[in-house]
Amino acid sequence: MVLLLKPFYLQKPATQEEFVKLVQEHRPMLYKVCRLYCFSEHDRQDLFQEIIIQLWKSYPKFRGESKFSTWLYRIALNTAISDLRKQRRRITPIDPDHLPTQLQDMQYSKEQEEQLQQLYAAIEQLTEVERALVMLFLEDKSYDEMEEILGINQNNLRVKMNRIKEKLRKITKEAAYGIGKS
Amino acid sequence: MELESLKYVWHSLEGKPAGGQSSEQEIIALLHKRSTGPVAKMRRNLLKELILIIATYIPTILLYLFDFEGKLSGIAWLFVLLLILFAGYFYRKNRLLKEMQCVSCRVRSNLERQVATLKKYTRFYTLAGTLMIPVMTIFCYLIIRWKFPLPPGSALFYRMGGTPWWQNPLLWMSVLAPLTIGIYYFNVWYVNKLYGRYIQKLQELLREMEGE
Repeated sequence: MVLLLKPFYLQKPATQEEFVKLVQEHRPMLYKVCRLYCFSEHDRQDLFQEIIIQLWKSYPKFRGESKFSTWLYRIALNTAISDLRKQRRRITPIDPDHLPTQLQDMQYSKEQEEQLQQLYAAIEQLTEVERALVMLFLEDKSYDEMEEILGINQNNLRVKMNRIKEKLRKITKEAAYGIGKS
Repeated sequence: MELESLKYVWHSLEGKPAGGQSSEQEIIALLHKRSTGPVAKMRRNLLKELILIIATYIPTILLYLFDFEGKLSGIAWLFVLLLILFAGYFYRKNRLLKEMQCVSCRVRSNLERQVATLKKYTRFYTLAGTLMIPVMTIFCYLIIRWKFPLPPGSALFYRMGGTPWWQNPLLWMSVLAPLTIGIYYFNVWYVNKLYGRYIQKLQELLREMEGE
């Protein structure tokens, strides 16, 4: 209770250490959220910073009523979805030198990289809500967990998910045949 | 492209979690930065507004209280009353801003909450901004009526219905009514310019979440 009343800068260092450790563990997931919602490196950094600040502000109120990851997804997605600042729509090609430092070590093949590029390009055409659903689907979250995070009932989630899959198929097909490109 | 087939690639993005000292320091540094989210910005703007009001009202109050041999101290008390009204205005706005976001709630309920609170906020903004004009005008009228009586021996053309023209309530009303209406429409336009698109976007997101 005392912890709840304390402003963040007065929280015990142990809490800060614990928080940093937890964030470190989930850092790749946070990068993925930023990658899905922002198109430029600058915007991604801004969003990452905002998510960390919101997590830190809410951390004293986390009582373990839900799983830590569920709580984390809620905050990350709430921040990303509500953050409706004008985005710098510079679509930067994925250049390994410009990837966040922690993602540079990843090893994946050319084919996988191409698929990812395609996915990101297609995701840019989805709405904020659809992106959240894609993210949770790719993260292998169950419909129970999706409902817990998003607050959309499971039937509705299933319908939406099928539509998104169809939409992505259509987008990538159009991209492959060059439809819609000037 | 099948989403299912991309799960493997997606998970390969997990990579090695950041482990070095530098990345921990990076996170700690972020904890001390200011939020740049829309609600945090609105709260900072509100604070600036409050500082501006205090910085202009306090010297004015002190001037009227201690200068002019204390003869105009009544005006100082009217300003104190206005300052109290402003305190209520800032308190209400700040409370609404505090209620606006619940980032750890489910995404849908957070959006519902944001839309509902932001609508309340803009209604209050419009109403308070509009009411401020008649309240200030009435205060001005009271001050003028009280502190600027008809000078003795003044000419007859200063009078309207037995009172000097600057003390005539009808004259004040005829200025006040169109001014209030004009300010109301200006506030509606201004609030819509500031928050209209944001509310609209949030409503669209909410509709998308609710609809099948």
